Amino acid sequence: MTKRFSLTPYLFLGPALLGVAVFVLYPIAAVIYYSFTDYSIITPPVWIGLKNFQALVNDSIFWQALWHSLVYLLVTPILIFLCILLAIVVDRQLPGIYAFRALYYIPVISGSIAVGIAWRLMLDTNGLLNGILLSLEVISEPIQWLAEPAYTLPIAMLLTIWLGLGYYMMIFLAGLQNIPEELYDAAVMDGCNAWQKHWYVSLPGLRPQVTFVAVISSLAALQVFNEIYILTGGLGGILNSGVTIVFYLWRQAFRLQHAGYASAVALVLLVITLAFSIVNIRLLERGAEAGT
Amino acid sequence: MRRAHPAAPRRALETVAWYIILCLVAAVTVFPFVWVVFTSFKGPNDAVFSVPPQLIPRNPTFANYVRVWDQLPIGRFFANSLMVAGATVVLNLVFTSLAAYPLAKMRFPGREVIFYLLLATFIVPPQLTSIPGFVLAVNVFHYYDNILALIFPSLATVFNIFLLRQAFRTVPDDLLDAGRIDGASELRIWWDILLPSVRPALATVAIITFVNQWNDFYWPSLMLHTRDRMTLQVGLVALQGMFASDTRGIAAGVVMTVVPILVLFVVLQRQFVRGLTGAVKG
Amino acid sequence: MHTKLLSLIVLASIVLAACGAATPAPATEAPAPVTPATVIKEVVVTATPGPNPETLIQGVEPNAKITFWTFWLSPTFDDYINGTIARFQQAYPGVTVKWEDHQGTFLDDYRNSVAAGTQPDVANLSNGEGWVSEFATKGVLLNLDDAVPQSVKDVYFPGLWKVSLVDGKNYQFPWYAAVAVELINTQLYTQAGLKVEEFPKTVDGLPALCKTIKAKTGTLCDIRLTVNDLPSQMIYEGGVKFISDDGKKFTFDSPEAVEWLQMYVDMVKAGVVDRTALMTDQDRVALDLFTTGKAAFFQTGPQLIREVRTNNPGLYGYLAVVPAPLGASGAMPPTAMAISVKKDTPFPNASIALAQFFTNPRSMLEFSKVVSIYPSTPASYDDPFFSAKPVAIEDSAKPIAKDTISRQTDLKPTIPSFKDVNEILLQAVQQALFNNVPAQKALTDAVTKANALIK
Repeated sequence: MTKRFSLTPYLFLGPALLGVAVFVLYPIAAVIYYSFTDYSIITPPVWIGLKNFQALVNDSIFWQALWHSLVYLLVTPILIFLCILLAIVVDRQLPGIYAFRALYYIPVISGSIAVGIAWRLMLDTNGLLNGILLSLEVISEPIQWLAEPAYTLPIAMLLTIWLGLGYYMMIFLAGLQNIPEELYDAAVMDGCNAWQKHWYVSLPGLRPQVTFVAVISSLAALQVFNEIYILTGGLGGILNSGVTIVFYLWRQAFRLQHAGYASAVALVLLVITLAFSIVNIRLLERGAEAGT
Repeated sequence: MRRAHPAAPRRALETVAWYIILCLVAAVTVFPFVWVVFTSFKGPNDAVFSVPPQLIPRNPTFANYVRVWDQLPIGRFFANSLMVAGATVVLNLVFTSLAAYPLAKMRFPGREVIFYLLLATFIVPPQLTSIPGFVLAVNVFHYYDNILALIFPSLATVFNIFLLRQAFRTVPDDLLDAGRIDGASELRIWWDILLPSVRPALATVAIITFVNQWNDFYWPSLMLHTRDRMTLQVGLVALQGMFASDTRGIAAGVVMTVVPILVLFVVLQRQFVRGLTGAVKG
Repeated sequence: MHTKLLSLIVLASIVLAACGAATPAPATEAPAPVTPATVIKEVVVTATPGPNPETLIQGVEPNAKITFWTFWLSPTFDDYINGTIARFQQAYPGVTVKWEDHQGTFLDDYRNSVAAGTQPDVANLSNGEGWVSEFATKGVLLNLDDAVPQSVKDVYFPGLWKVSLVDGKNYQFPWYAAVAVELINTQLYTQAGLKVEEFPKTVDGLPALCKTIKAKTGTLCDIRLTVNDLPSQMIYEGGVKFISDDGKKFTFDSPEAVEWLQMYVDMVKAGVVDRTALMTDQDRVALDLFTTGKAAFFQTGPQLIREVRTNNPGLYGYLAVVPAPLGASGAMPPTAMAISVKKDTPFPNASIALAQFFTNPRSMLEFSKVVSIYPSTPASYDDPFFSAKPVAIEDSAKPIAKDTISRQTDLKPTIPSFKDVNEILLQAVQQALFNNVPAQKALTDAVTKANALIK
């Protein structure tokens, strides 16, 4: 059907595109510009060429932050594994199952700040966890959970996983419920037991959900901030043990007022995020082609 | 679509086993809240941290809630969060559904380019945009320390545009053509035909947007500094700072801020779940 | 056992009742709203004959509207602040003051407000946490040496006017001062077999003390590194010369510096300090450890004893107070809170007037009567309030206050790029404390990095 040129599509897209242009596209351009400057926000930017990037290469804390961010990505496979398991567990007609699903969802609704504060109280040196461990005589001295460099990142990752359990579980659950019964019946007829059923039918059937969760949760892992901020009280952990790329970005921009340097860090983050998203989608697409 | 497991007698044991597992998992997800709730009712003589730990307070009291309520404008935090989340949802729905319509149903030059451009912006981290965003908020829009700073940048989220585009694509073209034959403008078609047909998807987008805005901390913490203007998440952190020596007070504050949203969730449970899982169409 | 506790409580109640209005009500009473706007309270002002002796600043702009930020004074001191603002507005009619109190996030809020161009005209900054230095070096505070007449400067203890100097210039009105004391939890202390009178007089006695306490009571020491101002701690505790006299090279890798750092390294390695308290930037977090009865001692000002009393009334009866130990420098750092004025405020004279008003002898005397802080003005001490014998433990520093405060001197030199140097030092300190980097190496590397900054 030939239509003469109409402004309508553009008018409809207008407001949204304007919003995206102002709040996403312009900032990207601005960040690229800032990364070549020395900018403290109070004073105007001063062009310094590649100096920020050179400093970045020599900045051991930056590399530490990068490493921590990459390590943090481990939450994605863990979440996928645990949540598929959880979805399989709750995918049954037991009385009260809806109540259980709701209970698993509570951390998601409460938000990372409230949950983080609760965790912080419990992990205090004189807090609940040590109290339990001491009274069970598992340990003889309180462990300074939040002040031990080696524990900072794992605790933050655990918190992220804990927060995400209910959310991704629901997604996989919906996916499971979309898998046609006939496929399971066919598997049973072929002699599959319960676990094989899930391996040969559920998992392949969950492929779209796995892709979605992989992309979303790895993006969230690369952008994690709240958990680290709350658990380390804004300090990033002793010896920068909790500092991820995003935390480092924030600290440089808003604590130390080096917005130019922070922009350079931000660009690195963008490149990594892009790379990961492409890898995620490609990997899972190829898997989908191979599987069918 | 849903298959039922017939509950045969020999499966009773299996059922019990499943309940045990379910309860264990529930204990893991719910325990911190249980502890926080109990702590919030503890009086000054009920030890908060002791070995062995004491969960249930012996002299429960509301004093902690009163103290926190008096010293922090919790009600204001709520009102601010509600205003921000509510305004964002309404405006966002309008703009993203407007934008999704042409992307889903119209042909025009540049459609693919715009689509992929939007797709690309999806991965941009909010912390990256926060640096120039801060400068914009201060120098250009002059809404620093104002809740407008939270609403404006969220007016059009790419995620929602895609969700609604998916939803619109399921609407049969005939419906739209029928409207066009009747002489309706595209705006009328959008409002009268398209939107009503995708109500579940709209609910999805509304809920996702609401929860995201409600729980957002990073950007609000940069923008809001006067206590009266803070949203709940920022206020919670201020609470934690203010009551650092007062664990019971912190617990009371956390309970006060979490319970209402939990209540909302319980009431709207079905919509929540449908909304959040409907986001993933294969 | 019960009767002993009971009689202690009765005694404490009598003592508290005797103090009466001198001590503030516990925070559980219904306080005023948190961020009041320009509320003019009904204050009965007796007509003063002649010109108002408190109006010292000339040329106050008519119809000035100024913003005033305080640090963690609300809601406990709402009445005092509001009352003083009302008196100020009587003394300087036409000026309106908008008051905000910020707490744990004060520093971030202030920094962001500077970046956003909404910096308050007048702000209560901390000298001790390095805030005045930070913002003065950034060039956003008003230099008060030229803007304030000598007669006004003479109102303060001379040593306190010269605090947090940048390039020899002063950027703050000294406000209420604390006298650093050591709060002692006598229960834990005596359990460790120690005598309160024998608390170390110098900082280098702390490591041995902490070892004893850990061995006998199992509790950790509650000692703080002021992570936002490490140079200050190095200078006062360690007697370290931080930067060369010509300001061109950093010298904080000297033997004294290494010895200071090594003291902390040893304590951390021996596992006798609480790490969270050590590295926190929130004083309240370290206070919390003491308040919950988990630490034997904590260095703070007597005015924070009220926090202990509110949050752990049981501990209050077991508190003792001794003077804080001196560092290798032999001097106590100035502890005065400051009130500073924004550099390019549209109402400089009004802002200076407000800052000066809050820090004048009468205002500070009244503040002292509300809580155990001490004025930065000699004239206040002439009031009989200060010669009265101390009754409650919060007042135990009263007799020595004037002398101690008059001898507080600021030994800190001007440190260029202060924030970044502090950050470098913070990283180095962590490497030495927690990552087995030898103290000398950590400090020398830090000096190299810092020198590169000021090239």
